[in-house]
Amino acid sequence: MTFIHSFQSEWLKTRRSLAAWLVIIGGFFLPVLLLVGRLVYHEKTGAESASPLFWENLTKQCWQFMALFLLPIGVILATSLITQIEFRNNAWKQVHTTPQGFTTLFFSKLSVIVVMLVQFFILFNVGIFLAGVVPALLSSVDYPTQPFPFLYLLETSGLFFLDILPIVALQYLISLQFKNFFVPLGVGIGILLAALVLMEWKYGYVVPYTYSPYNFFKMRGAELAGSQQANIHWLALGYFIFFTFVSYVLYVFKKEKG
Amino acid sequence: MHTIEATGLTYHFSGERPVLDNIGLQVREGSIYGFLGPNGAGKTTTMRLLLGLLRKQRGEISVLGKNFHHHRTELLRRIGSLIESPSVYGQLTAAENLAVWQKIYRCPKSRIPEVLRLVGLQDTGKKKAHQFSLGMKQRLGIAAALLHEPSLLVLDEPTNGLDPAGIIEIREMLKRLNREQGITILISSHLLPEVQKLATDVGIIHRGKMLFQGTLDELMHRQRLASRIAFETSDNAAARLLFSGQNLSPELSNGSVTLASPEKSLIGQLNRQLVEQGIEVYRIATIEDDLETIFMNLTQ
Repeated sequence: MTFIHSFQSEWLKTRRSLAAWLVIIGGFFLPVLLLVGRLVYHEKTGAESASPLFWENLTKQCWQFMALFLLPIGVILATSLITQIEFRNNAWKQVHTTPQGFTTLFFSKLSVIVVMLVQFFILFNVGIFLAGVVPALLSSVDYPTQPFPFLYLLETSGLFFLDILPIVALQYLISLQFKNFFVPLGVGIGILLAALVLMEWKYGYVVPYTYSPYNFFKMRGAELAGSQQANIHWLALGYFIFFTFVSYVLYVFKKEKG
Repeated sequence: MHTIEATGLTYHFSGERPVLDNIGLQVREGSIYGFLGPNGAGKTTTMRLLLGLLRKQRGEISVLGKNFHHHRTELLRRIGSLIESPSVYGQLTAAENLAVWQKIYRCPKSRIPEVLRLVGLQDTGKKKAHQFSLGMKQRLGIAAALLHEPSLLVLDEPTNGLDPAGIIEIREMLKRLNREQGITILISSHLLPEVQKLATDVGIIHRGKMLFQGTLDELMHRQRLASRIAFETSDNAAARLLFSGQNLSPELSNGSVTLASPEKSLIGQLNRQLVEQGIEVYRIATIEDDLETIFMNLTQ
């Protein structure tokens, strides 16, 4: 019960926050761009809609920039912004004098981030669906002939979700330790750039920020050497658990709590 | 019974001299305890230790009769606090800010408009907290501390940023809460007149050491003991000589002769002696050290 109340309290803090806007804008950004493109080039759109692999192609198009850069950077930003809510509003001291255990607090805040990530995935998939059907509503283009592959989108999103979790956990760890917003942001962007550079290295799988791009290339049927060496999804889960554990220990044993 | 009983509290940040040096703090149940000290004396560190915001290094803390570290969550349910600047979520309204805490304390939602009314923020409506003045944020911080009807309030300089009318209003509200609901209040300040108008008990801390702890009456008694009598006469040197002969240790200052406050009967007797010696007496006055002077004497 305490956890539910703690979660509700944490969720309320995200109302009208930058992180909440980031989820909405980030979720619809690429689908809206694709939708505009499909409306402008409606002659081409007509042929695409008739394809038996219409939804798979559209999904891959949407995930291209999302998996490589936008999703990792969005997660880095959103995770840092959630913990910044306490730092910026001088609220850690008040939060830590409320009757809830440090464990409850740690996991309720982390849960808010994870739920926001789920929210992002839902919006992104709704965006993909709308990008597919709205041209038929607004122009003379036919509806896609292929039935909407719900399970395919669920599986794709599920794997990306898993692959992004190490970034969530490591960014959460750093954000809880540093008051300055630029520390988690700088570290996150630094590791992401390193990951993009090291992606083609055969040991690239050791860098936890490579998993989302790796999964994208795998999805396109062009798996990179680094992701062939190990099961990146299990690694992602392992890193997530490890970073969460370290983060929890550092948080609970922090000498000054606000 | 003591609502707060802290003994032997010592704290130092790495590599520095102790910020707190063997502090003992006893806050009586139902009292308003004014915790006085100049900036940097150790007031906030003490309060942060009492609330578990700093990990205790040495000493014992008992709150509401229970060891704080063993019953942290249970005790925090009965404590309301405001430490330094208020914690206010800028993107939320006043009511939404309180809802954040209401969910954790699980108190009735009806408490939100009640406490907003209590601190005079009932008309803020949809205005976001980042648009509030410092005084309004401070009131919202106090509202959050009162939301769950605590048995103990720990307030660190709660009138910071308030205008004179706001200070009086908050002071009267705290007195009322103490009187009507029996809430024990620990309030820190570096302003003595502020504490004098509010507190029943006083603790004075300086450079991490507790210099005085007792009731306000005991502090006032100390003030009376420190008072002196001044005789302004036509010949102060002769008057001083006369008083010296009676082992009264007179001092010459500011055009008068001063003595440690004697009994009332002796004042009349001394006056008579001066007149008999042909020394005219223009004025006899009591010089009382105000609390500020006592505070300064203790802390210097």
